[in-house]
Amino acid sequence: MSASAVATGVFAVSMVATVALGLLAVRGRGGGGGGGGLAEWSVGGRSLGTVFIWVLMAGEGYTSFSYLGAAGWGYSYGAPVMYVVAYMTCGYALGYVVGPLLWDYARRHGLVGITDMVAHRYGRPWLGAAVAVLATVFLLPYIQLQITGMGVVVTTVTYGAVPPGWAYFVAFAVTTGFVVVSGLRGSAWVSVLKDVLVIGTLGFLAVYVPLHYFGGYGELFDRLVAERPQWLTLPGHGAGPGGRGELGTAWFASTTVLNALTVVIFPTTVAGYLGARDADALRRNAMLLPAYNVLLFVPMLLGMAALFVVPGLAGADTNLALFALVVDSLPAWAVGLVGVAAALSSIVPMAVFMLVIGTMWGRSVLPLVPGWGAGERQKRASQTVVVIAGAVALVMTYVAPNTLVRLSLVSYEGMAQLVPMLLLGLVWRGLTTAGAVSGLAAGVGLVCALVFTGNDPVWGVNAGMAALAVNLAVALAVSRLGPREAADERPDEEVLARDPLPGPDPDPDPYRLSVGPVSIGDKWPVSYESSCESSYARSCANSCAGEGRGRSVWLGNEAAAVARRPSSETWSGRRGCRRC
Amino acid sequence: NMKRPHLAWLAVPFVLFVGALPLVNVPFLLVWCAGATLVTPLAVWLAWRGDHR
Repeated sequence: MSASAVATGVFAVSMVATVALGLLAVRGRGGGGGGGGLAEWSVGGRSLGTVFIWVLMAGEGYTSFSYLGAAGWGYSYGAPVMYVVAYMTCGYALGYVVGPLLWDYARRHGLVGITDMVAHRYGRPWLGAAVAVLATVFLLPYIQLQITGMGVVVTTVTYGAVPPGWAYFVAFAVTTGFVVVSGLRGSAWVSVLKDVLVIGTLGFLAVYVPLHYFGGYGELFDRLVAERPQWLTLPGHGAGPGGRGELGTAWFASTTVLNALTVVIFPTTVAGYLGARDADALRRNAMLLPAYNVLLFVPMLLGMAALFVVPGLAGADTNLALFALVVDSLPAWAVGLVGVAAALSSIVPMAVFMLVIGTMWGRSVLPLVPGWGAGERQKRASQTVVVIAGAVALVMTYVAPNTLVRLSLVSYEGMAQLVPMLLLGLVWRGLTTAGAVSGLAAGVGLVCALVFTGNDPVWGVNAGMAALAVNLAVALAVSRLGPREAADERPDEEVLARDPLPGPDPDPDPYRLSVGPVSIGDKWPVSYESSCESSYARSCANSCAGEGRGRSVWLGNEAAAVARRPSSETWSGRRGCRRC
Repeated sequence: NMKRPHLAWLAVPFVLFVGALPLVNVPFLLVWCAGATLVTPLAVWLAWRGDHR
């Protein structure tokens, strides 16, 4: 059997296994196409424990960039590529505080994403919709990058047997195949397979490649220091007139801080946060996730090692520096396995990107259209948007690949401009809607102007950081000096976020209410009563009633409610909303 | 919902990756970044321990 057939067979079997694993994730949970509400589909019913949150968030962190771009940067520039490890490590540490803050805010108010949070914080649904549209513009390029990355990997590891065009479609079909049905839980299950393969293959390559080509790391480092010292300190290789911008220490520091702030509010990260069972699961993950980043040094180092094995790569070919070594030195079945790990590194992040776009539109944009607002229809709309988002990225990959690639240059720095509106807004009531919107407009406008005119970095600093500073200044100035807004009567506890207390929650529900039977829904009249309920239980009950099923109300540690049809039987059960 | 001075440990990765970078700049920078990555879980654990005493 030819090497091409073996590698293609390994790849094909693994893709079938991926879809099967993703679909099995919701077996018996009702979270698939028919049962389960939007929260079950989009944030896993807020029930994922430490292990699943770890594999999911680690899985999101390893994209096709980890195999292609990181090795390519290592090959072309050297030291500047370490900004990836720096910002992810700092971001995970920051997540120790921000993760529980956002998780608690979402849980208390029944929210499933950052657009929900913005709409709730400022009391303006249109603002949530506007943020959803903006975030979609910035996230679509990432889907396309994952599709393109997977195409490159698959074509390479199958020795050209699968052309890029087919591989693009496989990426879309496999991802859509499980994410539409199983949502975040399916992504977490596929992440298990992915993380096992990533750890296994990168761990193996970290030992094997230096031994195979250099006799060990000592010889590799000796050659790097002697022949390529520019690659080992900032600003790395290739800076200067006619080359790329200066990626010196100011750029490295500003990019690390900016991206660390951004990664904690990135919609895909927040989806992971909101899927957690409790705040301590997120705090444990903040401890565990940075250690996983050590693996990122492998493609970076091997990219530098490729300088001596496959010299002369230029342009986009540098992204294949790692795979050039893999294909050159390993048997076909091993090449296939490394290719599968890289392909899954495209599929898992792509699935979560599509999921959050669907959730944002289903919760924040489409409800503004009469008749699209609630219950099962909202979830169906979200699932439809998932397919549309993936299809748009796929079509753009075929017909106008450079459009989204150009947009991707500004994606992360553009998303960073949401930091004041979301993070500052959730802890400081003084930030007005006008201030937040003005700051966002100024920041996004400036970052687009700088990036698209080739001024990134600007004065040695990441353009996104410069724009964020302007964003913050404008937001504060308008909030302090701008027009006064109509008073928001809601108490601080309703509007602002808090860092939930670590350990067992001594005050499980600050919104403890005592209400009599309340009529909700009109398709199947249901009443519910409770002596201990949260706003999430209320929203769940309303959601269930809106779906015409209406007999289940979410029950958890901090909320207990009973739903019943008037004068008939009573239902109860732990976390019963899943059955709705 | 308090004084948690132990959360200052979370600044450790920022100090190592950002604050110390001008001074810092086997290959030393590479090893420094790998060390900072491995020290971060310990720093976060110290914050966790302060929270759960």
